[in-house]
Amino acid sequence: MIRNLENLIIKIGDVDRRVIFVLIGLAVLIPLLTPVSLPIRETPTTVKFYEGIEEIPKGSKVLVSFDYGPSTRPEIHPMNVAVLRHMLRNEHKVYISCLWPDGIYMALDALEDISDEFSLKEYEDYVLLGYRPGAEAVIKGLASDLRKVYTVDANGKFIDDIEMMNNVKNLNDFAYIYSGSAGYPGTFEWVKYGGDPTGVRMSSGTTSVQVNEVIPYVRSGQLIGLLAGMPGAAEYEKLVESPGIAIKGMAAQSFAHIVIVVFIIFGNIAFFLKQKKERKYSK
Amino acid sequence: MILKRYIPIAIVAIFGSLTLSAWFIDNETIETFANDDATQFFDIIAAFAVFLGALNLLKLQFIKFIKKQKGWQYSAISILSFFFAFIIGFFIRGAYFVDDKVFFTQEAALESIIILDVSKEQQEEPYKVQENSFKNLSDAKDFAIKQNLITPVDWGAHVQKNGSLFQWMFKYIFSPLSATMFALLAFFVASASFRAFRARNFEASLLLLAGIIIMIGRVPAGGLISSWMVMYLIVLVSGLYIHYLKKKNNVTIIFTLAGFILVTIAGMITGWPIDKPSIFYLPLLQEWIYLVPNAAGSTAILMGIGLGIVVTSLRYIFGLEKSYLGE
Repeated sequence: MIRNLENLIIKIGDVDRRVIFVLIGLAVLIPLLTPVSLPIRETPTTVKFYEGIEEIPKGSKVLVSFDYGPSTRPEIHPMNVAVLRHMLRNEHKVYISCLWPDGIYMALDALEDISDEFSLKEYEDYVLLGYRPGAEAVIKGLASDLRKVYTVDANGKFIDDIEMMNNVKNLNDFAYIYSGSAGYPGTFEWVKYGGDPTGVRMSSGTTSVQVNEVIPYVRSGQLIGLLAGMPGAAEYEKLVESPGIAIKGMAAQSFAHIVIVVFIIFGNIAFFLKQKKERKYSK
Repeated sequence: MILKRYIPIAIVAIFGSLTLSAWFIDNETIETFANDDATQFFDIIAAFAVFLGALNLLKLQFIKFIKKQKGWQYSAISILSFFFAFIIGFFIRGAYFVDDKVFFTQEAALESIIILDVSKEQQEEPYKVQENSFKNLSDAKDFAIKQNLITPVDWGAHVQKNGSLFQWMFKYIFSPLSATMFALLAFFVASASFRAFRARNFEASLLLLAGIIIMIGRVPAGGLISSWMVMYLIVLVSGLYIHYLKKKNNVTIIFTLAGFILVTIAGMITGWPIDKPSIFYLPLLQEWIYLVPNAAGSTAILMGIGLGIVVTSLRYIFGLEKSYLGE
C-alpha cells in the first residue's frame, strides 16, 4: 500500500508540464468566472501608505507618475485608480507625469475609470503632463525647473497657459509624490532624484517582484508606506472603500499560489522518494 | 586617435566632473548646468537614441527577412508592425472631434454632421448641415470645414489623445499582446518552480520555506490558515524528521503525540485565536520576512550597488573606463 502510494507520488513528480499549465489556468479562470469572496487583511506597509495620503492637507498639489505599461497593468493599474480616487476625494489637485511611453495611455484609462464618479474636469481637477523621454534626467529636471521639461502638456497646451500650473515651478511645490512603478525608470529613480533631494514626501506602488528591493526605502522612511503588488492594491481598495478589480482578482491569485505551492510540495516529496529508491537500488 | 580616443575621454571627464561637483560646490552656474542644462542635453540625446534604436531594429529585421534566416516570418511581421505604427504616428492625425464625439478620419466626422434629406433628394438642396441646405455634398463639406464644426486634434497631441487612432492601436493591439506575453509568465513560473524548487541542501531548504511562506502569506487565502494549524503541521513534519533520523517508531509516536497534546492544550487555554502566536501566523510571518531578513539583505545589496556606481563613475571621469569607446 505504502509502496503504491510512493510510486504514485513519484509519478506525480514526473507529471507533464502541460498538466501544470492546465491546472494553473483553471485555478485562475474558475475564481474569475465565479467570484469567491476572501477576507482581505491590511498589512502595515499599506496602512502606512494610506495614512501618508490622509496626512496631506486638503486641496494640496500632488504629483502622480504612471511608470508602467500594459504588461504590468493588472498589478499597478488598480492601485493607481484607487490612489487617484483617494486623492480626489481629499480634494487634491492632481498632476500626472509618465516616465514610460505607455504610461500616458494607462493614465488616460485610469482617468476615464473615475471620470464620472468625480465629474472630472481637465485643468481644474487634474493636469495630464504626459510622457517625456530621459528617465532619471526627467525627474532631475522636474526637481529643478518643471517648465524646462514640460513646455506643453499632453494635449499640446502651453504650460504657462494652464491656470493650475501657476505657482508650480518644480517638485518642491508639490505636497506629495506618488509613483506607480513596474521597474526602470520608477520608484528607485523617484526616490534618488525626486523625493530625497527635494525632501517632498513620497511613496510608491510596485509589482510584487520589486517589493523585496524597495522595502529598504520603506524601512528608512524614504517611502511613506508601499503598495506591494496586487495584494497591496486589494488592501488599499479596501481601505479607501472602493472595491475594484484587485479585490476581485485576489481569489484567482490565492488559488494560483496554492496550486503552485502544492506542486512544489509534491515535487519535493517525489524528489526525496526517488532519491531513496535510487540509493536502495545502488546498494 | 585624437578624435576617436582623447576627445571623447576629455568630454566625459569634463562633463562628469562638472556634474559631480554640483553636489559639493555652492556655485549657481555649475548647479544650473547640472540641474537644467545637463538634463536637457540628456533628454535630447535620449530622444535621438529612440530613433537610433528604431533604425537599428529595422536594419536587423530587414537583414533577417532578406536573407531568409530562421524565423524570417516574424521579422516580416515586425517590419509591417513598425511601419503601421510609424505611419499612424507620423502621418495620420487619427482624431477629429465633432463636439465630444471622436472620429478617426475627417471624412467620417463630416458624414456624421451632414444629413441627406431623402425626401428632398429629387429637389434642389438635399444636403443639410445644421440649418443650412446644400445642393452638392462637396459644398456641404466645405461649409462644415469652414465653420470649424470639425476640430482636428493637434499634431503631437494626436498620439496621446483619448479616442485617437494611435490610442486605438495601443489599446486594442499592443495592450492585449503585451498583457498576453506577461500572463504566460504565470505558467512558466509554476512549471519551473515545480521542477527546480528542491530542498537539496540547507540553504535551498531555507529558500523553499521562505518562498512558500511568502506565496501563501501574501494572499488572502493565507489569512484563513490558523497559526494552530501551522503548529500542528510543524509537529507532524518534525515527527517525520525524527523518524528519518532515529528510525524508531516508538520515539516518533511519543514525540508527535506529545507535540499534538501540547499544541491542543495551549490552544484550549488561549481560545484558539487565528493569528496567535503571531510567529506561526503566515501573513505576519511573511511580513516579518519582508521587513527584517529581506530588508537587511536588500540594503546590503543596494549599498554594494551604490559603492559600485561611485567607483565606476570615478573610473569614467579619470578616463580609466573606456568600454563606451568600444575598447
